[in-house]
Amino acid sequence: MSEMWINMGPQHPMTHGLWNLRVRIDGELILDADPEMGYLHRGIEKISEDRHYNEVVTLMDRCCYVAGLAWEHLYVLASEKALHITPPERAEYIRMMCDEFQRIGSHIMWYAAFVQDIGLMSPFLYGMRDRDLVLDLFQSFSGARLTYEYMRVGGVRNDLPPTFTGHARKILDWLEQRFREYDQLCLGSAIFHKRCDNLGVLKANDCVTHGITGPMLRSAGVKRDLRKDRPYARYDAVDFDVAVADGADVTGRYLVRMEEMRQSIRILRQVVDWLEQHPGPVMADQLPRWLGAPYAPVGREGYLLKRNYAKGVGFSSVEEPHGEAQAYVVNEGSEHPYRVKFRSPVFANLAAVRQYLVGYRVADIPPILGSVDVCVGEVDR
Amino acid sequence: MGQATLYSVSYWISNLIATAIGSILPAGARTVVTSSDVVTGFAVLIFAVVILAASMLNTIMLIWWERKLLGRFMDRRGAMHVGYAGLLQNFADGFKLFRKNTVKPREADALGFYLGPTSYMVTSLAIFGILPISSGWDTGALPLTLLLALAIFSFAPLFIFISAWSSNNKYSLMGGMRSAAQMIAYEVPLLLAVVAVVIVAGSFDLNTIVYEQQNYWFWGPLFLALVVFVAAMLAEMERIPFDLPEAEAELVEGWNTEYGGMLFAFFMLSDYLRALVGSILVVLLFLGGWTLPSWVPSAATSFPLAGIFWFMLKTYLVFGLFVWIRASLPRVRTDQLLRVGWNRMIPLSLLSVFLAALLVTAKCLPVFGCVPSPGI
Repeated sequence: MSEMWINMGPQHPMTHGLWNLRVRIDGELILDADPEMGYLHRGIEKISEDRHYNEVVTLMDRCCYVAGLAWEHLYVLASEKALHITPPERAEYIRMMCDEFQRIGSHIMWYAAFVQDIGLMSPFLYGMRDRDLVLDLFQSFSGARLTYEYMRVGGVRNDLPPTFTGHARKILDWLEQRFREYDQLCLGSAIFHKRCDNLGVLKANDCVTHGITGPMLRSAGVKRDLRKDRPYARYDAVDFDVAVADGADVTGRYLVRMEEMRQSIRILRQVVDWLEQHPGPVMADQLPRWLGAPYAPVGREGYLLKRNYAKGVGFSSVEEPHGEAQAYVVNEGSEHPYRVKFRSPVFANLAAVRQYLVGYRVADIPPILGSVDVCVGEVDR
Repeated sequence: MGQATLYSVSYWISNLIATAIGSILPAGARTVVTSSDVVTGFAVLIFAVVILAASMLNTIMLIWWERKLLGRFMDRRGAMHVGYAGLLQNFADGFKLFRKNTVKPREADALGFYLGPTSYMVTSLAIFGILPISSGWDTGALPLTLLLALAIFSFAPLFIFISAWSSNNKYSLMGGMRSAAQMIAYEVPLLLAVVAVVIVAGSFDLNTIVYEQQNYWFWGPLFLALVVFVAAMLAEMERIPFDLPEAEAELVEGWNTEYGGMLFAFFMLSDYLRALVGSILVVLLFLGGWTLPSWVPSAATSFPLAGIFWFMLKTYLVFGLFVWIRASLPRVRTDQLLRVGWNRMIPLSLLSVFLAALLVTAKCLPVFGCVPSPGI
């Protein structure tokens, strides 16, 4: 076979979403790679300019479909800064709880998809089964399993149900056991190491050059985690370690994500204890009237009135399951944001695909890209 | 009638039908219809139809067995809704595929595109004509059944490559290439492992090989050959961990990407036919075929069709092992697969041939007893 370009995507089992990876191959060897994105662009940033502040939260769930709550958190943090609102402490803890459970849910989803990419069939089902428990928990307080619309500018929509702490602890105990099994199925297999060790190597220098964040960066040995380096919510009050590995390869990314889930469990134990002992309000008082109503926002006619609130600009960055997400919200004194801009971690991770794909084999594409944890919803927005 | 064999049963049916038809015909025609040549020919035809129906039915049941087992391994139930415990699910799936239109890509080569799956199916089915499934339940004493079965078995890469190339699809072509490389790499250790069995049994006839296992089944003394045979068989059947030619993660569906409808069903059925043949060969060569060890009470082997029952049970259990492997192992990479094939499997299989020769020379083994008859 001579050299040829093949299109892996936009409808290809490897892509895990709607994007196209063009690779130039010689037989089984990859000579060049070129990502094509934009198939899932919905103009979320532009739509946000025409939405009420709290209505943008709905769009955030559509931004990343496996980490909706993390993106909600990102947006409400930036908006609160732009609108000069401070959420109550309990709301911040609830948001942390959401973030960490979301991280577990997202990483389990990643695990399920990743093992499928290297041909392991059963753990895919195990992962999906265990992720369901997390979704059950989300459903118990937000009413939804995928698009939660739970966070609000100024707090969260509603308080947790009384059954929450027991439910959460049960899930944490169960998941801790499952992770052991996950490791046995992957790390215990010689074929797994054959497939994944020294694969898709991207050293720390290259990671920094290409703006790569999240587990990919940490797998290269860089101890960078926004929860530690630039704490938001109340991450400074909880005790946890940053998961790092030093292989900079697929196995390293696997190890980092598994360790992150264990650390999430550690954080969650502390957060759940705190939530049990500290009842209180979950929405900030003294909100503007149009922000204060959690269930019934004012009618659309309200938007048309010109009002002059305090202007402001808000920037936030959140350690999302895939990496560092950033949001920038400009408040020009009306009910909807003047401009919203997001930075997606996966976009940067994917854009550097040539750096960690060239020189490997066609059969290595699924595990390498699986280890990136692609979520096209947030890449294209 | 003594012990019922497949041939005697089909001859009996053929005789009945010939007599029935002859009774309504004039005397001259009656003698022709009931003549022994016609009855024998008719019996062979019935024989072939029974074999065809049985192998197809078993293949479909094998798919059901795999789906149920995989379901259990994955903490779910598998097919449940069509028929009792989903028994009819695969018939429904097959019927759906049967009703579907067959789409040929415009740029595909028509001859190869249709010839590939059809020949693949036909050759896979042909093997069943010569496999014995119980004592007397075979086509008769061909001296080289094992060799013939393996020869037909190894046609497959050719047809896979033809259909992959003629599909005019880059993924198909890559899958076809992988398939050809893989099968060539695994044909050699497979045959060498079989040679070990042949040396001990002293025959290429599958019936003889089974009868040679009366004292002990060959899996014990020829354990190395069994391991090599099963691994090579997994590669030949293109099942995880060696299913690279159709690795759905990178190659969509590999060499059958462009196939749909009944042509896809041909591939699917042939894959399982080959899996069935693989399991049957493991049972025949290493697990004593339809026989049971002598310490088993005779009641277990004296009921009607006991041989077929034990044979099918063993076959399904062996296939269950393949399913278990599929449920718990990741897929290897092509270059790793070829390296394992050439660098590890072939030396191992040569070693097993050497051990088999030692066994035959030593005549008796402390644990396993004596070789019943001197080998080649």
